[in-house]
Amino acid sequence: MSRIIVVTSGKGGVGKTTSTANLGMALARLGRQVVLVDADFGLRNLDLLLGLENRVVYTAMEVLSGECRLEQALVRDKRHSQLALLPAAQNRNKDAVSPDQIKQLVQDLAQKFDYVLIDSPAGIEMGFQNAIAGAEEALVVTTPEISAVRDADRVVGLLEAQRVKQMHLVINRLRPAMVQANDMMSVQDVQEILSIPLIGVIPDDERVIISTNRGEPLVLSEKLTLAGLAFENIARRLEGERVEFIDLNAAYDNIFSRIRRLFRSSSRY
Amino acid sequence: MTADSSAAVSGSSSQDLPKANHPGVESQLQVNFKTEAGHLLLLLPPQTEVKNAAISWSDTWQQFQQRLSAGKRFWQPQTSVYLLAGNRLLDGRQLQAIADALSEAQLQLKQVRTNRRQTAVAAASAGYSVEQDAPVSPLSQPAAPLMPALAEPVYLQTTVRSGVEIRHAGTVVILGDLNPGSSVVADGDILVWGRLRGVAHAGARGNTQCRIMALQMQPTQLRIADQVARAPETTPNQFYPEVAYVTSEGIWISRATDFSKMSLPLSKPQELP
Repeated sequence: MSRIIVVTSGKGGVGKTTSTANLGMALARLGRQVVLVDADFGLRNLDLLLGLENRVVYTAMEVLSGECRLEQALVRDKRHSQLALLPAAQNRNKDAVSPDQIKQLVQDLAQKFDYVLIDSPAGIEMGFQNAIAGAEEALVVTTPEISAVRDADRVVGLLEAQRVKQMHLVINRLRPAMVQANDMMSVQDVQEILSIPLIGVIPDDERVIISTNRGEPLVLSEKLTLAGLAFENIARRLEGERVEFIDLNAAYDNIFSRIRRLFRSSSRY
Repeated sequence: MTADSSAAVSGSSSQDLPKANHPGVESQLQVNFKTEAGHLLLLLPPQTEVKNAAISWSDTWQQFQQRLSAGKRFWQPQTSVYLLAGNRLLDGRQLQAIADALSEAQLQLKQVRTNRRQTAVAAASAGYSVEQDAPVSPLSQPAAPLMPALAEPVYLQTTVRSGVEIRHAGTVVILGDLNPGSSVVADGDILVWGRLRGVAHAGARGNTQCRIMALQMQPTQLRIADQVARAPETTPNQFYPEVAYVTSEGIWISRATDFSKMSLPLSKPQELP
């Protein structure tokens, strides 16, 4: 039984595409057949993050218009053949396709792959509606900022209304030192508002930028960074494994900050 | 919102805010479920702008899904549902979607009442019993009474999330949180068994006797009738169930335990014979 998961957030720039690329790669490394669908028509990025831009020949658009077969449009990853990408068209906009078309496309892909990960565009308009059309599960990505959390909350409501009932929360770009200093929302603060199960917390890491620019997902590096490890843990949790959450506070923790945390109000946001 | 625990009443200023002005919720009806004589009525709001039929349907569909999942626990399985579609145009596919969603919640769509011929035809060909009323033109409708009685309360088990607005011509009870960015507008009271962090407007038709109650009051804004109040800038460390009500000085908030004591003198003690 393959799983169709949409990666979405509402707000832009919180790490949907980065998460999709890294989770896809991590799942492929765990031995799964994975296809990543870039549903961000007109603003495609996923091929860049995977370093596959120069291999794109056909896109989802050509498949939908019948100009090529689905297999022809799929780009196999050069490092892991378990991983494939269905690129989005760059020359069209988001209204060029309908939810029903995407749904059909995703269902066809689900026949051949264990995981179909759909990278949704930001916003809640047509492009978002398309991206969630075929999804059975959702990963809601947010950063610990009130604006991102507010948008994620709206998206969770929309997903509920579209009957995507299985949702998990990914908190991205957390800065433990700032949380300690009470300058950033904590994981608990975010969870309190969104009230969906947490599947991973990814620390802020500038190596993410390097990896994006090189087109090499973090989970591929020899020496795994904390962020890379966090992505790998999410992939293992998706697989049903019980993996302990990394203690991001460890480096900044002492007895005083623990006591301070105990007494501070947890609901400033 | 009571900053220190000793203060019985903590007011929140309403001077620098404009008065809330609301015509009540009558003007913008929402999808609603109602129990009547052993079956469930599903009321769809009337269709106003014909141009944006697609948009208006997707909004209605979202509301329907929200209300359905929020009320699921309170209905007996296999209850029959009468769909009151009013002047709304529904095609076969939309009817099917409604029926499917209902049957997922173990409810059965039995009858469709409509005053549109197309909807009646679609419903009949899908095999539902149909009752077609004569279309009512807005002009010939009798004028609504100035102060109609409140609708029966709605009871919703849900997290009201950002972007969602719940409007009801009566009292609203929410079992769950009211998140920031959401709002509830009620002609009656608002009771939130959870955290109130959005906007709550009670007595929207002008009843200053209405109250807002929550286990944890952290509202963006509270409105009762034409009064508006903000939450204080500082958040307290501890929360108690609280009640917001209108006094001559604006909206005040007290701890629920103190509030019930305060309101005791209102009901005169019975004199012994």
